[in-house]
This record gives sequence, C-alpha cells and structure tokens, in this order.
Amino acid sequence: MEKTTVCILDDEPIVGDRLKPELEDDGYGVEVFTDSASALKRLDETCFDIFITDLKMEGVDGMGFLEKVKDKCPGSEVIVITGYGTLESAREALIKGAYDFITKPFRIGEIRAAVKKAKKKARRNSA
Amino acid sequence: MQAVQLLKKIFRQRDRGQIPFAELFKRFQDILEKNNAAMELIADMDGKMGGDFVFDRKYLSDSVRKLKELVLANAYDLNFITNNQFLAIYDIIEKLAKELEVELSGQMVIRETRRIYYFHEIDEGMEDTVGYKAYNLSKMVNLPKIDFPNGFVAAISCYRDYLAYNNLFDKIASLIEAYRKEEKSVESVSTAIQLMVLGGDIPPNVRREILNAINKTCHGKVEESYFSVRSSAVGEDGEMSFAGLHDSFLNVRSGELLSAFKKVLASLYNPASLAYRLKMNLFQMEMAMPVLYQTMVVSRTAGVLYTLDPNNPDRPECILSGNWGLGMVVVEGQAAVDTFYVSRHTPHAVTNQKISSKKWMLAPLKTGQARKVPGEIQDKPCLSPQEAASIVEAGLILERFFKKPLDVEWSIDESGMLWIIQARALKVSHTKHTLREDLSDVLKAHRILLKDQGMIAYRGIGAGPVRIIAAGDDLTDFPAGSVLVSRYAPPRLAEIIPRASAIITDIGTTTGHMATVAREFKVPTIMGAETATQVLKPDQLITVDAERKVIYEGRIEELLHHQLLEESAFEVTQEFQVLRRILKKIAPLYLTDPNAPEFNPRACRTFHDIMRFVHEKAFQTLLQTGSNPRAFLKRGGKRLKSQIPLDLILIDLGGGISREADSQTHVSPDQITSVPMQTIWAGLSSPGTWNMDPIPVDFKGMMSSVTRTQSSDALGNNLPGVNLGVIGTDYVNLSLPLGYHFTVVEAAVGSRPENNYISFRFAGGVTDITRRSRRATLLQTILEQAGFKVHVTGDLVNARAIDLTDKQIRRNLYLIGRLIGFTRQLDVMLKHDADIERYLAKFINQAKPPEEDQPSNDKEG
Repeated sequence: MEKTTVCILDDEPIVGDRLKPELEDDGYGVEVFTDSASALKRLDETCFDIFITDLKMEGVDGMGFLEKVKDKCPGSEVIVITGYGTLESAREALIKGAYDFITKPFRIGEIRAAVKKAKKKARRNSA
Repeated sequence: MQAVQLLKKIFRQRDRGQIPFAELFKRFQDILEKNNAAMELIADMDGKMGGDFVFDRKYLSDSVRKLKELVLANAYDLNFITNNQFLAIYDIIEKLAKELEVELSGQMVIRETRRIYYFHEIDEGMEDTVGYKAYNLSKMVNLPKIDFPNGFVAAISCYRDYLAYNNLFDKIASLIEAYRKEEKSVESVSTAIQLMVLGGDIPPNVRREILNAINKTCHGKVEESYFSVRSSAVGEDGEMSFAGLHDSFLNVRSGELLSAFKKVLASLYNPASLAYRLKMNLFQMEMAMPVLYQTMVVSRTAGVLYTLDPNNPDRPECILSGNWGLGMVVVEGQAAVDTFYVSRHTPHAVTNQKISSKKWMLAPLKTGQARKVPGEIQDKPCLSPQEAASIVEAGLILERFFKKPLDVEWSIDESGMLWIIQARALKVSHTKHTLREDLSDVLKAHRILLKDQGMIAYRGIGAGPVRIIAAGDDLTDFPAGSVLVSRYAPPRLAEIIPRASAIITDIGTTTGHMATVAREFKVPTIMGAETATQVLKPDQLITVDAERKVIYEGRIEELLHHQLLEESAFEVTQEFQVLRRILKKIAPLYLTDPNAPEFNPRACRTFHDIMRFVHEKAFQTLLQTGSNPRAFLKRGGKRLKSQIPLDLILIDLGGGISREADSQTHVSPDQITSVPMQTIWAGLSSPGTWNMDPIPVDFKGMMSSVTRTQSSDALGNNLPGVNLGVIGTDYVNLSLPLGYHFTVVEAAVGSRPENNYISFRFAGGVTDITRRSRRATLLQTILEQAGFKVHVTGDLVNARAIDLTDKQIRRNLYLIGRLIGFTRQLDVMLKHDADIERYLAKFINQAKPPEEDQPSNDKEG
C-alpha cells in the first residue's frame, strides 16, 4: 500500500522537528514546512492525505491555508494546531472544515492519535 | 552605620499607617492564591522536561511572563501590607527576569562563581560553570558501579580571570571580528589567538587555588602524582557536540600542571573548535573553558569500549579493545590491541576475540614512554572474561543514562578495579536504523501487559526484571537495572531512581517530585498506570515503552536498539535546553528555613524562593497584628469551643468555617469546614491524646525553664501569645505557642498531590536542653516513620512532607494533631534516653491508628 502522506506547517521549527520522526516511525511519509509560502507552492504540486497546520503565522495564516487545502484537495483532512487560549479560532477552523484541532503544548500521543483518525477519514474520502 | 539603621527603623515604625485588618487579610488571601497559581505553572513547566510534550518558544516566554506577573503582584501585596519593608524584592525580581529574558533569547548567562569545584560539590544546574565533562562526571557519582578517578575542575572563572589578567578579551574579540569580516582565515585567527593564550601568565590567585586543589586531590603527594588535564567545554550539550575538538593531556607531572592548564585553554581556539563555534554562531562570551584535573590511574590494562559496533549497530554486541598499561599505543606504525566482542545481554559473554601480539605498551606513569611488553604476557589476553563483562556492564549503565551509544575510556588498575575515565557519544552508521513500523512483527511476538495507562513522565525505553517496592521496604538492595514498580510515588524512592532501568507507578503524577528526579536521571517513567503493581509480577522480565505507553513481556532488544539509534533525542532541541536553563532560575527552593539569617530578599535565587519569602513574611505580618486573643476576635476571628483547654482563635480565609457560624463569635469543631484543620483537630482531640492531668515538673526541669526563651526565638516568627489558626477550605496555618512549646503547622491539600504539603516546626519546652533534645529525637522518629523529611537542630524540629496522596495527607495531619497533644509536656517525662523508646511505643499503641479514609472529626477528648 502507498504511504499515507502528511504535510506539517508550523513557523516554529520545533514542531516539525519533533513530529516528523514520530510520524515516520508510524509509517507516514512526512514533509515539513516552516512558512506558508513554500507549503502553498508544494500544495500546487500535490495533495497530501493529511495536513497539520498552525493557525498563527506570517503571510497566509493557518486559516487561509486551510481554505486553500479544502479548495484544492477536498479528500484531504486538516488538523489545526492552536496556541493556548485561541479556542475561538479553533471553532472557526472546524466550521471551515478542519478535521480536528490540538492546543499547544501537546503530548505526542495526542497528535499521533489525531493523525491516525484523520487517516481513516481520508481513506474513506478517497474510497 | 548601626545608628542610621536604627533611625530608619524608628521612622519606618512611626510612618507606618495602620492598614485595616480586612485589607491586610484580603492581600494575604491574594498572596496565597497567586502562590498556588505560580506553583502550578512551575509544575507544568517542569512536566515539559519529560519529552512527551511538544512546546515552542512562545510557551516558554508566555510562562515566564505569567510567572513574573504573579511574583510581582505578590511582592507588591507584601510591600503594601508591610509599608514597603521589602523593597529589595523588586530588584531581585527584575534581575531574575532579565536573566530569564536573556536565556529565552538563547544566549548564555554566566554567573560569578568559585574557581575550584570538587566533583561532589558540583550541584544541579552548574553545567555552565564547570563544563559538561565535569558536570556529567559529577552526575555519574550517583550511578551504580561507576567509579572514576578523583579530581576537581578549574571552573569558568579561572578561564575568565586568565583572559582578563592578560588583557585578552578585546584582542580575541577583534581577531574574531576580522574573521567575520573575512579579512582573516580561521587558521590564521586560530594561530594568533592560541599563541596569545599560551604566552599569558596565570593570575596568582588562580595559580594558588589550582595548586591547592592539586595538593588536596593527591593528599599532599604532589611529587609522586600524575594527572590528566582535560577540557570541560561549556556550551550547548557540550560534551556531545564538542567531543574531540579540544586537547587532553595525560600523565602530567607536578612541574607541568600549570602549563597544561594554558594548553587546554588554548585548545578552545584551535582551528576545528573555532570554526565549529563560529559556525554555530556562539559569541565570545559563550566560549569558555573550564579545565578538568584528575589523578591518573596506575593501569594494568586500559582501552576503549564501544557500546555498539559503529558499522553494525544492529548486532547486540559491544566492542572492547585494550592493551597492557595505558592502552592504545602506536609504535613504528604498528598499533597492536586485543579486541573482544562482548554480548550486550547479561551475563555479557565474550562471543569473539582477537588477541594480538602486543610488543609495546605505554608505561602507566611515564609521559609518552613506550616500552617493551614483557615477553611472557605479549600474546596473552589483556582482559579476563569477567573483566570484559564488568566493563560492558558499566558501559551499558552509562549508555542508559546518556541515551546514546557511547565510546567509553576505561582502565583497570593493578588491583583489578575498574575505572571509567571518560564517556562520549559514539557515531554509528544510521543506515540500518529501523522504523517502529518495521518492528511491528517483533512487537507482535511479545505479550502486551499494559497499554495506554498513565502518563509519561520521562520518555524513553527501558527493560529489566520487575521489582515491586511497597511502603517500608528496604531500598538498599534494589538491584541495578531493575524496573521499579510501586503503588505510590513517595519522595523516598528518589534514592533508588538512578539504579532503575524504568519506573512505573500506579498512582502519581508527572509533575511530582519523583517524576522530577526520574527526569533528572533520565529514567523512562510512566506515572499513574493504575494497575501495574497487580498486573506485573516480581522478577518478570519486561520492556517499558515510555514513548507509546506500552509494557511488553520480555526484553525486546530491537526496541531498546531503536531508541538508542534515534537520530535526535528531544533533549538536544533548543527549546528543551532553554527550558532546562530557565527552570534553574525558577523552580529550585533554596530558602527553606525561615529561621536562618539568610532568609532575606537578597538570598532569593529563584522565583520559587521569592514566593516562599513573600508568603512567610506576609503570614508573619498577619500574626503581628495582634498580641492577644481579643485583638484577633475583634477582627473577625472566632474562638474554638471544645472540651480541650486550648484557647484557639480561628481566622477564616474563606471556606474554612461553616456559614452557619457567620454571626457567632464561637465555633464548635464540627463547624470547621477546612479539610486540613478538621483532620488535625480530629487527631488532637482523639481519645487519650490530650493529657488533662497536671504534669509533675521536677525541680531541675522547673529551674531550667526559667531560661527557655531561646527556642521561641529560634522559631523566628515573633509569635504572638495567641493560639491562632488561619484556615481556608484546603489550607491551614496553625501557630501554637502552647504553654512553653511553640508549634507551627502549615498544610495545603491541593487538587493534585504535587500541591500537597505539610510543614511542621516544633521547639521549646519547660526543661533542660537534654530532655528537650530527647523529645526532638522522639518526634523525629515518629515523623520519619510517617514519611516526613525531618531536620533537627538542638531541640528545634523542622519536618516537611510533600507529594502526598489525599489519604496520606489526611493520615499525616491526623498524626500531627495527635503529636501536638501528645508531646505537649512530654519533655518533662523524658528523663532518660531509654524513655524515648517507651514513649514511642506508647504513642504508637495509645490511640488506634486513624482510619485510612476520612477520620471523623466529631470526637472530642
């Protein structure tokens, strides 16, 4: 079976640095971006099965990125990472089609579980 | 000067406007509340050290900002209620905050320190002062089966004094600047700086202190002694990343010990090191070089252990190489060593060996002198299989601690004793690194004993036989490498944590004391796994996956390997390192004794210290507002009405007394709603606890009571002559100047065990110091049995218990209640040392032990 692909976008490099090996360990193909411009460029080329994005960023923020992903890759699922105390925007993200949201700081187990569920959903989407 | 102080004091007293009690009281409540919030924040940050969380810089700066706000608000409140008696606190807070800001920005803060540290003097958090090599050696002191040669470190201040004395700071800075502007090459800058450093003079005080320390280390036998002199670099995870970049000198004799110091300093600027530092963008301030001195081992055999085969890391084998004498020797282009392949599994059998003909060796104590190996041992193995096994065992203990495959220098002396000289990361080929996914077949073959239970306190994988520890078990024979399994997480287990390969508790949190210690010793730990003590069987071999929260039956070598070969551990991330550094200025509590002369703002080294200080002073201020019961009754205090002749005034911080008593001036014990107060009272009023009989005081006892004021001062609280309880739903602070005794109990029953604590201080008495000391001994025995950490000086008993479960805190508060009653006039009775045992037995047998659950609070004596 093809590897499930994950795109991580967070302007804090630590997020990608920690998550990439974890998710690769679980058998995902992972690409990491720290600015939305290069992530969008990559989005032009391919749809990942799962996107993980921070909300607050320079340039196109996470909400904008979410919209673009939903527009271009309707079968993909998006998990939104939010800073502490920004539940409002998390809610907005869910309305705009995010699959799940996770608040920073988070335990690695949380994001692994969320990705696992999103993977099932994305599979159903494409089936 | 003194007169000025006195005048200031008088003016301050005269100026002091009376702050309405209600206002003072409200501020005190505020201080308590903010203290709790700050402690939660600190526990939360500490919990992030376990590696299971992903956090970013914003989390760190937000936490520091919130903490500073809380501490500042408390300092303001304290100054408000004390008419600005403690203005110095603001400076301390600002200074700390500034240091934290620098840490958050990723730069390094260097504190003024002593010049020389012996290994046992190196404290938590001193890696920036003594360098990583020395710091890690000092950490190894606690590891089982690891011995290393005696020595000391000439700390960072020696290096800086040296540079300052020789006016080198600016010269070095301008050379580095020239490099940055690409006017000069690294090589030429390096040569220029090294020449300057080597040509300098050691400042007289540095010279004196180093020579003193050398003298002390070799017990005065300087002439006969040999030292190794090495770098102990300061920097990001120093030892790991700078390994091999600096010079080390072996077999250094007395005449060359000081020039070796200069040579090591100069190696900080050798081309490789300089290039690396410049590439990493470290500023000159951050380049610093503590120097490590250790005595040389007179080695019979020495060599190197690779805990893995670097080219074949998947094989469960270590590679051990050695030679007679000092180890590796290259003579006439020929390096002959014995090589042993030793299994990583106990009992570490030698699976293969290549014994060379070792014609040359380095004589143990002659500088670089190669000499012929005596013919009869040339072709003999330089190690016995038992020695090989013990080297591997030690190496694996170190590997577990450093969480990396290691390159360990070792040495065996004439008596056969093993010495560890140094350990550093071993580079292995990662090509074969398997993903977890690829391990799924292996993992499936192992039975899962527990899954998804509890929380990860420290990430990692450990394996070993199960050792279940119950309350009261002897800890001294805990076998190294076992998995520590326990129902609770009492602080006393901290001492065996360094010996454990993993830890699982049924109950306990990732922010408690035990979790903190587990993180310190890097032991994979799962807290709160609920059923571990039931599911796991003693001596059962298990593998604890504290990354995915799974416990497997058996030892899964592949999984242990997987972790060992992981590219980057979370500890090396910058966020993690910043967190570790800022926590050092936040979390430790140095200001533990309110009676000590150092209990002042200037001595506050962390935010925790400041909060402790503010809390204590605020409470004292509250107490000082009245000197008799009436004063406190007028301010809303209520008298406790009971059979016990104890005139106790209760002040309610909120939720401590039932609302139905609002309009009353007296309350009965059953109207107390403060949980800790209720429980203490239940103990104090339990049958037989309060001795109602007049106690015969003999003449000797009576006479000495005339001069008994010392101890009350020792409590340092200026207690008013009032028995006062300040209580809240989950808080109590009880000051009891009962007759001639002084008891202070403070306790909080928090929402989580790490917020629970009981502090108990006791002093004074009617009799001579001998009897009072006997009583202190009795109290110490009882309290220690109950799990308190007890400190006794003279007749002053200071006891503290932390990290208690709900049940434990109730049991201990009940015990405190009984103790208050029991010891009231006990010192009079303790005429002989033998009486201690008798009264101990009496105390234990007297009243039935409190119920495990809530002790009832309606019994009155």
